[in-house]
Amino acid sequence: MRIIRLLLLAASMLCVGALPGEAKTFRLNVVGDPAQMDPITVSEIVAGRILNNMYEGFTQTTDDGHNIPALATSWEPLAPGPGFRFHLRPGVLFHSGRPFTARDVKYTLEEILRPGSKGGIATSYLGNIVGSKAFKDGAAKDVEGIRIVDGLTIDIAFTKPDVLFPIYPIAFMDSGIVAEQGADWMTKVSAGTGPYKFKQWRRSVSVDLVANPSYWGGAPKIDGVSFLIVPSADTALSQYDAGELDFVDVYASAIRRVLRDDRYAKELIRVPRAQSTYLAMNQNLYAPFKDKRVREALSIAIDRPGMVKGLYGGGAFVLNGVTTPGVPGFWDGAPEIKYDPARAKALLAEAGYPDGRGLPPIEISATEASKDELTYYANQFQRTLGMPVSVKVVERATFIRAMNAGEVAFFPWGWTVDYPDASDYLQLMYQSASPYNRGRWKNAEFDRLMEQALGTPNDAARFALYARAEKILLDDWGVAPTPVAASVALRKPNVHNVTLTPLGFSRFDKIVID
Amino acid sequence: MWRFVGRRMAGFALVLAVALIVTFAAIHALPGDPVSVMLSDHSADLEMASRLRAEYGLDQALAAQFAAYVGDLAQGRFGLSFRFVHAPVSSVLRDSLAVSPVLALSALCIAIGLGVLGGVTAAIHRNGAADTAIILVLVAGLSIPNFASATFLVYLLSVKLSALPVAGWGTLRQAVLPVLVLAIPSAAYIARLSRTFMLEVLQQDFVRTARSKGMPERVVIWRHALRNILVPLVTSAGIILGGLLSNTVVVETIFNIPGLGRLAIDSIFARDYPVAMAVVLLFVMFFGFINLAADVACALIDPRIRRGMPA
Repeated sequence: MRIIRLLLLAASMLCVGALPGEAKTFRLNVVGDPAQMDPITVSEIVAGRILNNMYEGFTQTTDDGHNIPALATSWEPLAPGPGFRFHLRPGVLFHSGRPFTARDVKYTLEEILRPGSKGGIATSYLGNIVGSKAFKDGAAKDVEGIRIVDGLTIDIAFTKPDVLFPIYPIAFMDSGIVAEQGADWMTKVSAGTGPYKFKQWRRSVSVDLVANPSYWGGAPKIDGVSFLIVPSADTALSQYDAGELDFVDVYASAIRRVLRDDRYAKELIRVPRAQSTYLAMNQNLYAPFKDKRVREALSIAIDRPGMVKGLYGGGAFVLNGVTTPGVPGFWDGAPEIKYDPARAKALLAEAGYPDGRGLPPIEISATEASKDELTYYANQFQRTLGMPVSVKVVERATFIRAMNAGEVAFFPWGWTVDYPDASDYLQLMYQSASPYNRGRWKNAEFDRLMEQALGTPNDAARFALYARAEKILLDDWGVAPTPVAASVALRKPNVHNVTLTPLGFSRFDKIVID
Repeated sequence: MWRFVGRRMAGFALVLAVALIVTFAAIHALPGDPVSVMLSDHSADLEMASRLRAEYGLDQALAAQFAAYVGDLAQGRFGLSFRFVHAPVSSVLRDSLAVSPVLALSALCIAIGLGVLGGVTAAIHRNGAADTAIILVLVAGLSIPNFASATFLVYLLSVKLSALPVAGWGTLRQAVLPVLVLAIPSAAYIARLSRTFMLEVLQQDFVRTARSKGMPERVVIWRHALRNILVPLVTSAGIILGGLLSNTVVVETIFNIPGLGRLAIDSIFARDYPVAMAVVLLFVMFFGFINLAADVACALIDPRIRRGMPA
């Protein structure tokens, strides 16, 4: 008995850590640990969602998909362009209490580019800055194209126009933090300007933030935010049911169950993800795909509303184009792709493959996570068109490498948006020079329109060019759009001003908990 | 005695070496390249990929990587985690190191307490109502898998009655359910063992002698007979603790506990080779240590064992 008592004592001594969830802390789940808390090297979703509440860029995206000024109040083209002059927001304080100035902007950009630094996803946004390459290679001490004009004005010059620069998610950080807290500062504090400050990260347990009372947009009305690290969908739901979570991000495996359960109807939030989902047909690898009629036949042989209802149990939305709702630049004019198996058969016969005769065998492949979709497509194409399709499941990293290399003929996949502008889809997934053009569809006019769009600063004019480019792709049946999965969350009735948007969680600075 | 411990230690070192080679080979044989996992959808960024590959030594031949790994290990270095950017493996391990052993040991203590009590009680009331009842509970405890009992207990005690937290780690209340779920099958197993051992012991001459001397039954059972079922129980406790340690993987996943088991699984999925290797080696060491401790304990209890005589 004494041993038991000792062990219980030992166990209780391990338990001194504070329990999250007192009074006014907003508690929600994330699926895994963030890889880090460093705004310079960040590159994955969990860390991004957490850092989003501590760090800010020149602009931020509203819940309804508009980019509005944040740390920059305005910007104009540089006199002998290309480039921008940014006017920074006055009166903004870092979590340390130091004011935000042009020096911090320069410092952050240089940290991202620093040779030997581990620059994350943000590195790819800075390649156009004059002198960035020389700086990265260690040949220059400063980045030539970044010039501080005064405390709140900074010029950034580019080698070629990049009208999207102001909206790239770059997290500006406090240039004085390393001197104050040392190189491992990010394990102790946060160095941003956002509505919440870093409190602690208990690995595999939670990341806890506290409200920043001096936030320029107004102090949050709650005490803090606790991101509980919960890998299991069932555990997260049970925690929500038991009142241990105020908001639950429902993972894919539990979405059907939640949608079917009437108890949750009033607390349910469902939005299409900012993810362009498609079925790629690589014309270099399978000769019949070269025929537009074959591509059209496959696309209209997919019963999209049927998939949403059956395969996804309501947890998806039909997508008729490649840009997605809620992302600035979304084109809502893409015509509905009607399910028409009879026409599909006729088209295939016209192309020389009546009832699929003469079509060489083909594999449809993807990762374990998409095996239901694979089975659906293989079965659907076999049954309605007589196409000899077999299914292949490949390990994720291997598969992504093969897709990037253009080695996969026929696959369903999706691209999650990196920055809030539809060009992320159009340019990266379909311009012929992009390494992420995984289906290897090519069109000179499309390339030209996108090139022109990326030199057009006016949003409305640029979005019109996107729409024209997207129409070319869709008219050519270059890709078959497929249903996009829903993001689903549940929110307790006493929690207000927080929701899901296609891009992720809304910002947490206005949350109210009754 | 020391020679006995030395022999066991030498055998253990051999096991460790084999485990090192096998896990290294197995983990590297998994499909999927850690750098591609790190870069995920952006793996076409060849410049970053080659930089990361060089930073983590992944651009070298497998044999060279193994040699470097063993060299680092010999100096007590586990390297850098792939999943947690720039975090040394030791810091990742530190956060979960104590959790699984504490879970398993707490469960073992509860299992021994409940199991011995149940088993001995059943043996005393052999074929009586108490015996039947206990056997019924035993069968249930042994045959319900822990993920099922966990789901049921969470639903009942946490969701419906709000008596205990659903998941998490950090407070005593959060530890109750996982320890209980972990302990149930072992308690049932120990109860079955103690019942059998006890029934055997109760047939023996010294028990009859003790009874005929007029000793109270309580003393006969709990002082004389119980002592004699200890050696087989301690031997089994080693094996049971090993089983409990493996089962922490399941319980840690269900109850969201930041232990080594969950760390191992997460690391393997993330192709975080250095952390996965370190966790596997730690598990091997735990098992080796448990076996050694059980052997030594038996040798201490029963002198015939350490002299190499049949017990």
